[in-house]
Amino acid sequence: MRISDRRFALFLMTPAALFLAVFVAFPLFRLVADSFFKISPIAGGPRDFVGLDNYFRAFASEAFTGAGWRTLGYTLIVVTLEFALGLGMALLFTTLGRSSQIWRTVFMYPLMIAPIVAGLLWKFLMIDNFGLIGTLLHQAGILSNPNQIGWLSDPNIVLYSVAIPDIWLTTSFMCLVLFAGLQNIPGDLIEAARLDGARAPALLFRIILPLLRPVIAVALVVRGIDAARAFDTILIQTNGGPQSASETMSLLIYRTMIRFGDPGLASAMGTLYLLAMLAVAFVAVSTIWRPGKDS
Amino acid sequence: MRVAERIKNDAGKSPAAVAGPSVPTTGSGSVRKRRGVNREGLEAGRRSTRTLLWILLAAAMVLYGFPFLYLLFTSFKTPIDTIAVPPTILPKEWTLENYANALGRSGVVASFINSIQTAIISTLLSLVLAVPAAYGITRYQTLSGRIFIMAALVTRMVPPVAIGIPLASMMASMGLADTPIALSIAHTTISLPLSIWLMSSFFEAVPRDLEEAATVDGCSRLGALWRVVIPVVSGGIAVTAIFAFLASWNEFLFALLMTAIRSQTTPVVIANFQTQFGLDWGSMTALAAVYSIPVILLTLLLQRKIVAGMTLGAVKG
Repeated sequence: MRISDRRFALFLMTPAALFLAVFVAFPLFRLVADSFFKISPIAGGPRDFVGLDNYFRAFASEAFTGAGWRTLGYTLIVVTLEFALGLGMALLFTTLGRSSQIWRTVFMYPLMIAPIVAGLLWKFLMIDNFGLIGTLLHQAGILSNPNQIGWLSDPNIVLYSVAIPDIWLTTSFMCLVLFAGLQNIPGDLIEAARLDGARAPALLFRIILPLLRPVIAVALVVRGIDAARAFDTILIQTNGGPQSASETMSLLIYRTMIRFGDPGLASAMGTLYLLAMLAVAFVAVSTIWRPGKDS
Repeated sequence: MRVAERIKNDAGKSPAAVAGPSVPTTGSGSVRKRRGVNREGLEAGRRSTRTLLWILLAAAMVLYGFPFLYLLFTSFKTPIDTIAVPPTILPKEWTLENYANALGRSGVVASFINSIQTAIISTLLSLVLAVPAAYGITRYQTLSGRIFIMAALVTRMVPPVAIGIPLASMMASMGLADTPIALSIAHTTISLPLSIWLMSSFFEAVPRDLEEAATVDGCSRLGALWRVVIPVVSGGIAVTAIFAFLASWNEFLFALLMTAIRSQTTPVVIANFQTQFGLDWGSMTALAAVYSIPVILLTLLLQRKIVAGMTLGAVKG
């Protein structure tokens, strides 16, 4: 006797579902459970139920609220800049047409570089004393002294500096997605607009961008979620410093757990962070993606 | 069968042509016009404009490519030259000293082996789990399938730092602490959701008549999947494999939390260079170059597949 289609589909999905249940859902459950306890950092140490105390402590701590705002700011910086640059490159590639194909490939290479390597590389470019960027700006006459800007040591600008590797790494991603979207805009439409006398800016803002809206929305959400989880590039550049000025949520949670040995508090922070991400994801999913249907 | 054959051919060379937004390929002179689409619509016409745009592109490429080139140049500098003030772009004297130093350090070669091992295990695990699941979701369109693919998408939104620590302690209690297996499992939690989404898109493009014909010929459902459908989507499987591999190869946070001496991957070793040996920039840049170059070459070789996956991955999650 043959099993039903539904059973067969279930049978095919079960291994993956079990895997995600055991290795994602269960750890998440542990995270939430841990957030209600005061836990000794030593393995097997005491574990006392404290209710919502960890949550109150999280909200009361300046480190947590600060990291929240910084994460938001960092995400906005990264996504805005890489969108502007990515769109510029995508338009450039599109207007150059097929002959730019090789360059599109070359443009992709940073996507393959480990974020840790990118962070290291940009740290080396921006570091005080022997950083190349300061020197080049000095030689170009823009800075009076190569060390005038403390890219990674000035708390006021460090959040922008640590965003650079992320932008450098992922502008190509944005560019690729927007480029693919641009290819799907019917040429007739552009021709018609041109015949009506539309100039380049009008063409861009009145025709191209509105038509690209769904693609832009998806690209912004995907990158926004990734940027909000940034860890590697910042850790290697500044480790969250100076004076926590580049400490984003991932770094704060990591440090609360590992450095300051407070698993309960870290779990509460992690839970809140997770909830915020899921809320964003939920809104995005319900408005943009329609799962199961071909877009 | 002609449709099936066309799909099969397309799947072989460019999965993007089969499913989702296609990225135009150059094609040897054959203009592949789509219905009502004039591909030249946005292309700049006048020669002077084009020249200007090419100059702009060249400038952007130089700026964009320079950081990595500088890393490469630095890796060939002598240690003193590396931190010279003011810095120079090209080495005064080319040397392989940094490479010898970096690779000669204890644990560095082992970390490469760990990285490769972890990435391979995680890629295989991801494929073995994602391919049947995605097929079950797209082929049968059940409610459970729809719920499952949503859940998989939500998984992609989970910040690694949130599950990293409970996951690490779980692995420890399973006796897997500090093993490539434990890290591979952790990496699979990242690559599995994306793999399911990518594979679903590829399966969506396979016509159902294909398996129906096979079942009429006496194949079981599993047999049809294995012998007929899988070969058709082999291009898509390759794309998914590349992404799973890259995700693991470049991953750092889980590797930092879950590995110690025995299973450390190279990104963790690179990060440790900072603290353990003072700031030996020469060796760090050499190691970073060695770690990056294989994947850059791989990308250039397989760029069309990667572009396909990238656009699909973005659209699908």
